[in-house]
Amino acid sequence: MEMPQPNTRVLNRKAHIVQRLQKILPESAVIFEEQEVRAYECDALTAYRCPPMIAVLPSSTAEVSAVLKICNEEGVPVVPRGSGTSLAGGALPTSDCVILGVARMNAVLETNYDDRYIRVQSGRTNLSVTGAVEQNDFFYAPDPSSQLACAIAGNVAMNSGGAHCLKYGVTTNNLLGVTMVMMDGEVVEIGGTYLDSAGLDLLGVICGSEGQLGVVTEATLRILRKPEGARPVLMGFDSNEVAGACVSDIIKAGVLPVAIEFMDKPCVEAVEDFAKAGYPEAEAVLIVEVEGSETEINDQLAKIKKIAMKHKPVELRESKSEEESAAIWAGRKAAFGAMGRISDYMCLDGTIPVSELPLVLRRIGEMSQKYGLKVANVFHAGDGNMHPLILFDANKPGDLELCEEFGAEVLKLCVEVGGCLTGEHGVGVEKRDLMLTQYNQKDLDAQMDVKDVFDPKWLLNAAKVFPLSSSDDRRAI
Amino acid sequence: MQTNFTDAQLTDPKIERANAILRSCVHCGFCTATCPTYQVLGDELDSPRGRIYLIKDMLENNRVPDEKTVKHIDRCLSCLACMTTCPSGVNYMHLVDHAREYIEENYKRPLFDRILRAVLAQILPYENRFRLAMRGAQLSKPLAPIMPAKIRNMVEFAPDKLPPPSLNDKPQVFPAEGKRIKRVALMTGCAQKALDTDINDATIRLLRRHGCEVVVAKGAGCCGALTHHMGKAKQSHATAAKNIRAWMSEVNDDGLDAIVINTSGCGTTVKDYGHMFRTDDLAKDAAIIAALAKDISEVLIDLKLSVIAPKDMRVAYHSACSLQHGQQIKTHPKTLLKNAGFTVLEPSDPHLCCGSAGTYNLMQPEISKQLKDRKVTTLEAVKPQVIAAGNIGCMMQIGSGTDIPIVHTVELLDWATGGPKPRKITSKVSLPSHG
Amino acid sequence: MNLKSETDVASYVSDANADGRRLRIVGGGTRQSLGNPCKNEAVLSTTGLNGISLYEPGALTIVTASGTPLADIETALAAEGQRLPFEPMDHRGLLGSSGVPTIGGIVACNISGPARIQAGACRDSLIGVRFVDGTGTVIKNGGRVMKNVTGYDLVKLMAGSMGTLGVLTEVAFKVLPAPETSTTVIVKGLTDEQAITALSSALTAPYGVNGAAHISKDATTLIRVEGFEKSVAYRAAQLQTLLGPLGDTTIVNDDSLWQAVRDVEPFHATNTDVWRISVAPSHGPQVAAVLRQINDDIQVVYDWGGGLLWVSTPNDMDVRAALPRISGYAECLRGTAEKRVPQNAAIAKIEQGLRAKFDPKGILNAGIMG
Repeated sequence: MEMPQPNTRVLNRKAHIVQRLQKILPESAVIFEEQEVRAYECDALTAYRCPPMIAVLPSSTAEVSAVLKICNEEGVPVVPRGSGTSLAGGALPTSDCVILGVARMNAVLETNYDDRYIRVQSGRTNLSVTGAVEQNDFFYAPDPSSQLACAIAGNVAMNSGGAHCLKYGVTTNNLLGVTMVMMDGEVVEIGGTYLDSAGLDLLGVICGSEGQLGVVTEATLRILRKPEGARPVLMGFDSNEVAGACVSDIIKAGVLPVAIEFMDKPCVEAVEDFAKAGYPEAEAVLIVEVEGSETEINDQLAKIKKIAMKHKPVELRESKSEEESAAIWAGRKAAFGAMGRISDYMCLDGTIPVSELPLVLRRIGEMSQKYGLKVANVFHAGDGNMHPLILFDANKPGDLELCEEFGAEVLKLCVEVGGCLTGEHGVGVEKRDLMLTQYNQKDLDAQMDVKDVFDPKWLLNAAKVFPLSSSDDRRAI
Repeated sequence: MQTNFTDAQLTDPKIERANAILRSCVHCGFCTATCPTYQVLGDELDSPRGRIYLIKDMLENNRVPDEKTVKHIDRCLSCLACMTTCPSGVNYMHLVDHAREYIEENYKRPLFDRILRAVLAQILPYENRFRLAMRGAQLSKPLAPIMPAKIRNMVEFAPDKLPPPSLNDKPQVFPAEGKRIKRVALMTGCAQKALDTDINDATIRLLRRHGCEVVVAKGAGCCGALTHHMGKAKQSHATAAKNIRAWMSEVNDDGLDAIVINTSGCGTTVKDYGHMFRTDDLAKDAAIIAALAKDISEVLIDLKLSVIAPKDMRVAYHSACSLQHGQQIKTHPKTLLKNAGFTVLEPSDPHLCCGSAGTYNLMQPEISKQLKDRKVTTLEAVKPQVIAAGNIGCMMQIGSGTDIPIVHTVELLDWATGGPKPRKITSKVSLPSHG
Repeated sequence: MNLKSETDVASYVSDANADGRRLRIVGGGTRQSLGNPCKNEAVLSTTGLNGISLYEPGALTIVTASGTPLADIETALAAEGQRLPFEPMDHRGLLGSSGVPTIGGIVACNISGPARIQAGACRDSLIGVRFVDGTGTVIKNGGRVMKNVTGYDLVKLMAGSMGTLGVLTEVAFKVLPAPETSTTVIVKGLTDEQAITALSSALTAPYGVNGAAHISKDATTLIRVEGFEKSVAYRAAQLQTLLGPLGDTTIVNDDSLWQAVRDVEPFHATNTDVWRISVAPSHGPQVAAVLRQINDDIQVVYDWGGGLLWVSTPNDMDVRAALPRISGYAECLRGTAEKRVPQNAAIAKIEQGLRAKFDPKGILNAGIMG
């Protein structure tokens, strides 16, 4: 993965920069020795690694501001990091950078059930936001599969989604405000506890900006009352096409499930091993979940089952208990990790119009033959956000490159059929070099113009999102 | 993940095993969410994922371990919450045990630490020495304020009173009451029988009452967990081998249906004997013993307990890490307590370690204390009358931070099936009955 | 000037940029008085950009040119049993304007309605835009799929930007199924404080409330649920039970009630200033109380559970000056006060920077956002 040349002037000043940081942070918060910075050399995309120059772990907005001030003065690139669970290399360092990890900032600052919001420090994990309000029967809706470990900071940076975003929207639809530290150390409050801010939707452009506009240290999030109940139903079909058609029919019928998830056979086999949820043995498995009172659930499921029966499922089974529901979801959410039992993999995130599902799955199958690499498919069928998992052997020379080629071809196909490169994981480094298949240079210029306003020196996570050739002039200060 | 061992390195079966484990890790980071030290320290290096990374680098490059790497690995509790969480089935336990062995062999610790660790390894596994040391600690408590921090912690850790040795812990056979349904060996271990004889006494009563012949095997002793987790493999294997031989003798004699272990920290290790001895002559016997090893709750759940005196008390169940993560036993103790009439309550964040973790509370006092405080707070929050746990280490750790009586699960079950009221409940301050 | 395509718009703006000629962008012209008056030398009409270019009901996606009348879009969606989720307000009654509202204007002003509390605002349903920036360059962002995080989200930035960053030429939406039926629980006789508490109860109950309003003049509190018939009946009944102890409750089926709230009908014929104030819902009554202290002769229509106040005030009342302590935003819709002011200096600086990038010569709706 091509990365910008490290700034030798910065590297030569490492000791001095460490000293300056040690003056404003406790000792344990400044990590700079070779043995230790290595642990920060990558996130969950291990194919690309580069130890940072320094890693810092501030505990407050004030400390973050002080760190950025120093880095700004010294011209040191900064790469923010939440829990390091990014699948796109969003927290991949350069050798001259400071990794700014917010994991120590995980407190709940304020909870307001009447106005239905919670304010948290951005290092808090996604699931523990729900954890903070669940005793009152509330929850925080966006649920990326990594929610156990991923941080709100990362969710805001990538505009993360999840299985239940079909009904509840993604992070940007549930984010009310942020406290953000700009690269020069200035702290700005954007949005808040009220819905319509004045002026431009800065919150909307900050969400999904992959840590390139500022470091978000606090977030105000929408919390919702948990529905009275929820129940998933498992469906097995003997082909991907049929499963896709069923999804389309369910949507057209006006029933809006809270989630529709798809797993193909290779994926189900790996996941069954881990979750033991009793997934159907079929070519394509759908998990469809509905919410409401007991009666409402039964009504909705009756409608859905009726639609499903028209497509002659191999198996159709409602969950009969909370434990079973939990197991069904635990398996799906652990799908990527469970594949790790079998093989190394690269996880793609291309999104397509739902109607193109059968075509794209078929073409992926053909590519799999062509490249000689197996693929397992798991994805959010309700919104067309696919996650083909390309299986390869990281220890076999040449396999990674083959995998990258295969991945690029899949993503180009997604764009070709009217979709996009990434539905929820973000661009990071992984899709950076494919940006011009979806946008032209002018489109990218407009986005980079936005970064110019927030971070004129291009110190924040500058090697991500935009092809290096596109951002060349702006990064060269 | 990609690994970089040479073919030569991979001829070593230990490295081969490490490589397999490392390859299965996909670096997803789920483990960080449930790691107690990551919760407390917020540093990737003090998470399972970061430790895996440090170990990988150390082993691949045959490095002499450096101080930082050792520090982060020393901080690992071996609570194994990460293994419960990991979707990829990474056997972190085997990897970190290997790393500890490697460090013990290749890293020269500061003199003080070396002496301290050697002394612990020579005392803790041996009942009489342990008793003597506890006695010494009790006597020197007045001097505690002027001692170096680590020593002071250990001295303060010693309980004020030690029970006299129980005759029940001597090698012997306890016949079943009535018809004999099972024949089991009871592991009496080391530290537990010095600190609290009530647990084994209650275990023996409970098993006998329900048709089990209980044998305390001659020659069995410490399971080796403590020294194993210090990386002192030779020592841990030596004591483990003694157990294997002692129990095999019973297996070959009148046979055994199970080896009952009521200290979950030990149970995890005994169940791992098969792996520990896989390249040893004792491999076959070790595997047999490992398969026979059962936590007391596993044995009890099969026997239909005759609850003749159900107790309607509020019991907070503390799920020991070694039991819920190491042995994946999460519900049996709660089911047993519920069936015995108790109101079973669970603290929030039940997956987080109390900080006892073998010798951790002695070697890593700051982190241990933070975890203890968290655990005590969550337990007290459910307003129990008594706390139940399945591991002596947890009982000591939590007991030192709360006035609520803490007993072994087995003592409550013994009580509800006709045994005496646990002494610890009457001697400590008790809360109003439905507070 | 008769602009019929994106290319037309691009060359027109490009020329204007060369001359430094300031433009006023107009769709249907029904919301001209939103925002501050802007100086302009010419008017750019988008009504020639008309037509639905893609509609896939099975994918819940519709793509249209920006000058397409809202009514055409709603008709097309209704034919497939679908609708725009955000319930856009019709400003004509309140502002006394005329014309045919276009979708471009709705996006440019981020217009939504009572359903915002559940379904989000216009910007939450918007998934793709094409626009011509102030130099005449055509730019696209987002696309036609719901999940899209490829690069920065300029889609959100464009929504509510009132034309200052570019002339919208095409917009794409995620739509939702239209509900089988709609029902409203009405509570009578509550004070503002009681009403907001009641609305909060309703919104924190698990019944999927998608309309929560209160008209203080008639002491009428309205709570709406939509969906399948049986489900709606069940939920309405549950809500009635929940709110019963608070006052007189009835259940009605009358969509016009919500159109009245959406379009702020109570203030159509009044000869008063109208302000639109956004606060945390529980602060709503406080705002009203503060304003009533200055002058008792004000009326309030609360929407969004109390988080949106439409306030009718005597002419020239300085509402902003009265509300410095409360966290929120006040916009003047009718009156001589400045319509919009920037939030604070830090944010103003960022916004100026962004406008300078997208419209270097400041020719697009110059000054409209204050």
